[in-house]
Amino acid sequence: MNPFVSRINKESWVAPVSGMCLVLGFMICMAWVTQSTRTSRQNYLPLDQRQRVNDLNVDQEAYQRVTAEVSKLQLDKTRLEKALSSHDGQSKVLNDSLQELKVFAGMTPVVGPGVVVTLRDSPKYSGTGMGSNIGVSPDATIHDVDALKVVNELIASGAEAVAVNNHRIAGNSSLRCVGTTILVNDVKIASPVVIRAIGDPNTIMGAMNMPGGVLAEIRQTDPNMVQIEAVKSQELPEFVGNTTRKYAKPPKDSK
Amino acid sequence: MILLPIIALILGAAIALAIKLPAIPGVYGQYLAVACLAGFDTICGGIRAGLEDKFRTEVFITGFVSNVLIAFFIAWLGDQIYINLFLAIALVLGARIFTNLSLIRRYGLTKWQDARARKRLQAQAQNQAVIASQPEPNP
Repeated sequence: MNPFVSRINKESWVAPVSGMCLVLGFMICMAWVTQSTRTSRQNYLPLDQRQRVNDLNVDQEAYQRVTAEVSKLQLDKTRLEKALSSHDGQSKVLNDSLQELKVFAGMTPVVGPGVVVTLRDSPKYSGTGMGSNIGVSPDATIHDVDALKVVNELIASGAEAVAVNNHRIAGNSSLRCVGTTILVNDVKIASPVVIRAIGDPNTIMGAMNMPGGVLAEIRQTDPNMVQIEAVKSQELPEFVGNTTRKYAKPPKDSK
Repeated sequence: MILLPIIALILGAAIALAIKLPAIPGVYGQYLAVACLAGFDTICGGIRAGLEDKFRTEVFITGFVSNVLIAFFIAWLGDQIYINLFLAIALVLGARIFTNLSLIRRYGLTKWQDARARKRLQAQAQNQAVIASQPEPNP
């Protein structure tokens, strides 16, 4: 006879399984990714999964709402500053200099002539289905470095204001790559990268199309990746990123 | 009876939340997550064994503890020797969880279908008995 039969009792599995389920529930709760552990856990994910997780966690609608709020508040602020200065001459001078600084710092929308540079991934290699970027030359896609170089070149050739996909480049802006996308001011942007600059269109066009320049380098891979055109008038939005500072303060003895 | 383990699972999570233990950050959180996968696999295996009438408590409990520890250890080892053993664990345990869950589903389904068939047959037998017991009409 089977020696195990006497030990096997029908339905006796429910209690031990339930007990271990209690332990498992406890463990899952400890291993769950929470707000406080997200950053430290994310570092151990492969790039593609990190991107999926990021996409899940970013609430695009909330972001849009908050940026709209920031621009509205900044407009309100400018209006109040103007109202305050309309009373007497001295505060008007003060406000003029304030507005001047705000334009320089990218805190107000600006209008003017300029150029639009569009960078897109090479169409030659796209649309080959799943895993289409496998085996393709890395030059065929637009990287953060390309966008960074173009922005740098635009500013060097006299652009007074620059915006990448409608994110204004200001004092503490950054361009960085995360996985397969580019972050501008810590906001993810989608291809194609549209860089708009305000300045003298002729000067900037000349500088950008210089042989051996930044754009020429990209055009070597595929001329279709770059498109540059002058525009008579365009409006760039204000910088809506974080402007709080924790560490930088003016020195005490300065007036 | 399948409800009791599920309730226990939720209860365990509730206890962890109630005593306000902080979630584990960093790489040990990753190891624990893999260990959870092993635990889940063992639970599924236990339920399957129970349905197959092969369940033995001591095998199940030692299996749970050792699987959790082994998963933790393999994940740790992979990081010591620069091999992505997380993937190996996820693959093996994932496949086993799928197998176990599909078997559990089949047992459950068969049981339910059998019960229905039995009920139908019983009803039929009863009907026939009633018909048979009725007195024959006189000619």
